[in-house]
Amino acid sequence: MDSQVFDAIRNIDDLPTLPSVAMEVLTLSRSPEVSINKISECIHKDPPLAAKVLRMANSSFYRRGSNEVDTLHRAILMMGLNEIINITTSVSVLSILPPKGSRGETIRKAFWNHCIATGLIARHIDRKLSMRSMGREFVAGLLHDIGKIILDEYFHKEYMEAHAFSIDVDCAMHEAETEVLGTTHMEIGHFLAQKWGLPEYIADVNLHHHNPDESKFKDITALISISDLLAKAKEFSFGGDRLSFVLSDQPAWHILKQMGYPVHLLDLERFTFEIEDIGEEVNRYITAVSEPGIQENVHERI
Amino acid sequence: MNEFNPSAGSSQMTDDTFRLLRDFIYEHSGIYFSDTKKAQLENRLVLRLRANNLSDYDKYYYMLKYDPQASRELRALFDSVTTNETSFFRSPPQIQAFQEKALPELMTNRENMGEKTLRLWSAGCSTGDEPYTMAIIVKELLQEKLSDWDVKIFASDISEKALRSARAAAYNEYTLRAVPPEIKKKYFISNGSQYNITDEIRMLVELQYLNFNDDKRVRLMRGFDAIFCRNVLIYFDDAAKKRFVSQLYDSLNPGGYLFIGHSESLHNISRAFKLVHFPGALGYKKE
Repeated sequence: MDSQVFDAIRNIDDLPTLPSVAMEVLTLSRSPEVSINKISECIHKDPPLAAKVLRMANSSFYRRGSNEVDTLHRAILMMGLNEIINITTSVSVLSILPPKGSRGETIRKAFWNHCIATGLIARHIDRKLSMRSMGREFVAGLLHDIGKIILDEYFHKEYMEAHAFSIDVDCAMHEAETEVLGTTHMEIGHFLAQKWGLPEYIADVNLHHHNPDESKFKDITALISISDLLAKAKEFSFGGDRLSFVLSDQPAWHILKQMGYPVHLLDLERFTFEIEDIGEEVNRYITAVSEPGIQENVHERI
Repeated sequence: MNEFNPSAGSSQMTDDTFRLLRDFIYEHSGIYFSDTKKAQLENRLVLRLRANNLSDYDKYYYMLKYDPQASRELRALFDSVTTNETSFFRSPPQIQAFQEKALPELMTNRENMGEKTLRLWSAGCSTGDEPYTMAIIVKELLQEKLSDWDVKIFASDISEKALRSARAAAYNEYTLRAVPPEIKKKYFISNGSQYNITDEIRMLVELQYLNFNDDKRVRLMRGFDAIFCRNVLIYFDDAAKKRFVSQLYDSLNPGGYLFIGHSESLHNISRAFKLVHFPGALGYKKE
């Protein structure tokens, strides 16, 4: 990609990095040798991270049942390895890209609200369509736009120009980004996800959520693509993305249909009304991640 | 032995009962109460409990579901779950969707076809708040270009009383509560405690009596670019609903939009339209 902004971001020395133990956990999770003990031991190498994961597992958002889980090992047994890896991923990224932002702008809050709403909507659709994404859909939704934060953090002035442009011209944010910055949040997000060693599907969702046909992980990317639109329709949007769309005409919709998911059985009106309450769920998640401890050790540079 | 029970309606609605009632109402009326609207539903149904002398919402649900006489109660139920009030610029996200998305698109299409005509229909216009709101929006969009256009907003209702009010076009402060101040200043003339609509807006609206069961008359309604038919369909049974919605479909021009109530659904009624998601609102498009 021939963009000065993209090159500049690639060459920033102090770009935030994922805690090394988190990266280790992610690598381990992909290895055939993965086991409950190994993951638990690995997370314990970073006690603050272990504490955060455990607190998150016990938060009102994730907690099942009334008993507090007191060890990571037990949390893994209760929630499954996948969910603990999901939590490790989201907690680690949230710790280095804090929802408040270095300037405490409300726009950063709106941005994260959109991401959380997208993850939550993806979780609802995943259940309705029995897609069995095993919690990956929430993480993918939560992290599908990480490029936007980095653009806002390092090129704030230009990013606000792109933001204004998208409102003036009534176009999608990524179109405005191309116009103003010569790159998009998809490219930046993809670059970051790879650099941080995030699971491949997250990198892919970052790159292709606006063109799911080209994705290697078509089902989850299509799911996030649709959830992203619905989050915007619920006015959990960032910038000028006041779109109108026909869901059943979307490429993502056709992908899910072709893959055999029963999208035609979905009562879309009812589903749209159901997610009217998504704001409450977003707040619940924010409360969960803001519980003492989960937000500690926030990266100072960003 | 239908003595009034003073404690009736005082019991709380449990979450389970709320879900049962919500699903029942959605299935029978297409109106959806989301989780956050539990208290609202509870409040609206208190009077139905009292009227039926029932002590709790469970019993009310079982009556609706299993009592063969319950069809009579349905009408009263739907009346109480729809806000029977009407006001200017009601349901802002829908109005915005029409103003910012649907209407500009419709006008561009018309202009491209070289026809500067626009036909809108407020089906079930009640006291006129809706058609006059539509007229104001059109005027705001076109401004002085309005004179280049042939715009007509048909507004129909079955109630002669409502139509008389609509013709008088005098409204109180409360009905205008959602109207932005600059709009109020431009299109309403203060007359003591009442506000009158300006003539330039009134002239765009044509009020008429219409019974939706009168197939012959309804079939004459053709060539519309957009139809607002909000919270009307609940008064029909399924078969009548299907018939009427298919007539509304025929009444629209290709590319035209149908807007129903904010929490109403056509899911079980018609698949002829494309469901369009606008920011904060749904619309139905005829392709």
